[in-house]
Amino acid sequence: MDSLKLLAPLAWRNLWRNPRRTLITLIVVTIGLWSILVLSSFMTGWMQSSRDASLRLLIAQGQIHAEGYLDDPNIDNLMPMPDATLKAALDSPAISNWVARLELPAVAQSEYKTLPVTLLGVDPDAERRISSVPEKVVEGRYLNDADDDSAIIGLNLAKRLKTALGRRIILMVTDADGALAERSFDVVGLFDADVGFEDTYVFTGRNALQAMTKLESKIAQIAFEIPEEQDLAPTLASLRAAAPGLDVREWRKLSLLLGALDASMAVTVYIWLAVMMVMVSIGIINTQLMAVFERIHEFGLLRALGLKPGHVLALITLESMLLIGLGVLIGMLAAVLTILGLQGGIDLSAFAKALEAFQSGDTIYMQFLPMDYVIFPLAVWGIGVVVALWPAWRAQKISPVEAMRQAT
Amino acid sequence: MKPIVSCKGVTKIFGKGELAVHALRGIDLDIMEGDFATLAGPSGSGKTTLLNMIGALDHPTGGDVLIDAAPLKGMKKAELSDLRLHKIGFIFQAYNLVPVLSARENVEFVLRLLRIDPAKRRRRADAALAEVGLTGMEHRRPSALSGGQQQRVAIARALVARPRIVLADEPTANLDSGTTAELVDLMFKLNKESGVTFLIGTHDPRVIGHSKRHIEMIDGQIDSDTRS
Repeated sequence: MDSLKLLAPLAWRNLWRNPRRTLITLIVVTIGLWSILVLSSFMTGWMQSSRDASLRLLIAQGQIHAEGYLDDPNIDNLMPMPDATLKAALDSPAISNWVARLELPAVAQSEYKTLPVTLLGVDPDAERRISSVPEKVVEGRYLNDADDDSAIIGLNLAKRLKTALGRRIILMVTDADGALAERSFDVVGLFDADVGFEDTYVFTGRNALQAMTKLESKIAQIAFEIPEEQDLAPTLASLRAAAPGLDVREWRKLSLLLGALDASMAVTVYIWLAVMMVMVSIGIINTQLMAVFERIHEFGLLRALGLKPGHVLALITLESMLLIGLGVLIGMLAAVLTILGLQGGIDLSAFAKALEAFQSGDTIYMQFLPMDYVIFPLAVWGIGVVVALWPAWRAQKISPVEAMRQAT
Repeated sequence: MKPIVSCKGVTKIFGKGELAVHALRGIDLDIMEGDFATLAGPSGSGKTTLLNMIGALDHPTGGDVLIDAAPLKGMKKAELSDLRLHKIGFIFQAYNLVPVLSARENVEFVLRLLRIDPAKRRRRADAALAEVGLTGMEHRRPSALSGGQQQRVAIARALVARPRIVLADEPTANLDSGTTAELVDLMFKLNKESGVTFLIGTHDPRVIGHSKRHIEMIDGQIDSDTRS
């Protein structure tokens, strides 16, 4: 403590002996930390937007299937509508919405082309609460009710089938008897999503599809929505308890791509942290080496006066701690101000086409992540101080007479 | 009187082989309590090297230096730092003040290292500055002081911790004759009134003229050691 009282004022004043050099180091540290924090906020915002958009489309936060359905989604791996126990669990306050869907592999045929699709029998009222597909209908209308035997298809599928709103397509599926069931459907709506989704899914009323396939009361999936992400694990547990023979999965296990993107976001931020740290470290080592060698005579003098080698090490380390600490504080402040300034969202509509693949929407909302303001500043500060130990160690090692001789 | 400093066969060789320079060639010397001694000799005679050995700033190649009968040989760096702090005051040719500290802070610095409490520290630093005639200049940084004033601060710093001996290496080399005379009078007065022991490496006849003991060095050896 005594040493700190002795050295801290000296260290602080030493920082300002060469204000230009100190400012350059401050700028390097500030920009480094600012970019890490802002990137992390942006990536999190982007990922969240992308994830929310993807989950809102169809997946939701989790789904329930019959065992084996996800490995082999055929007619033999369907399940009945939820029983009273499962329904009670699905109606619990932790789950905001849920839907039951019949999903079958099918073939869509127009006058010109035949294409494989996934046919989804849905309950439109429930879908409006959980899925964004009804809002994505850009031509025509969405389904009226579960008995509606019309078809909603994607814009790109319509293009590929060379069909259009108001025309008819034939959908073929395997029915409960294993025979081929086919029927013509009026195309009453076209939806606009990403191309892959548009090409894959065709929607019709669930009751209508069950009737067509003689699969009354059979469904392929229950999708459920949870307002709070932190409730996911306990909710999954309670659903598993309510439906012991069924396969209950969270979204990360349903969409491996989304799960991987979620994990890779953190990796991206840490890679940027590493790149920034290398740059900041080079700047700090350079500055501190210059600062040390310029003052080598002075360190010799201080040693002659009775300062111990450890004190010299502490003095230079303290200078680094103060300098990097100040840069870290300014970097944090700059990042907070940047994020506050961008609270209205970053408009990326100019890149809408490119962003479609990520389903992130045109506006990215920066996320304020309190833990980032603990972890990253401490990392920058800690690593910066550690790399500055080398010049400090060199300074304390030199003998006083050597130091004084070098500069005279 | 006991010797404060004893040099026993001190040698110092810089470099190796054909490039070896014998800076000190077996110095035997005692500096007694209360001495006001000057160490003179031509450039390269070994004055500064000997002062560095006595000041525990450098290690002899052979022999040993004893301060208050304690041999320096075998002491660790931190122990040598403690010894310098408690027993030796330094005055250098180039003043060597810490530029970011004021005159008072420069003087107080040594007292801070000695962990003397702030009030006492302030009193002693101001008294030392008053003794060298710098009252009213306590807040000035070295850059705002003349060469003579800076050297006075250096003297105050060297004396404030009440060392056993003050080692001064060419303390007047950068000063004009008026300032030199004032400083020499000051050091002499401190020696006479406070009994501070001085060993001064110098060429300056005005300094040598005040000394009570004069040591002449040639080629790393003591050529003469006379008391007046």
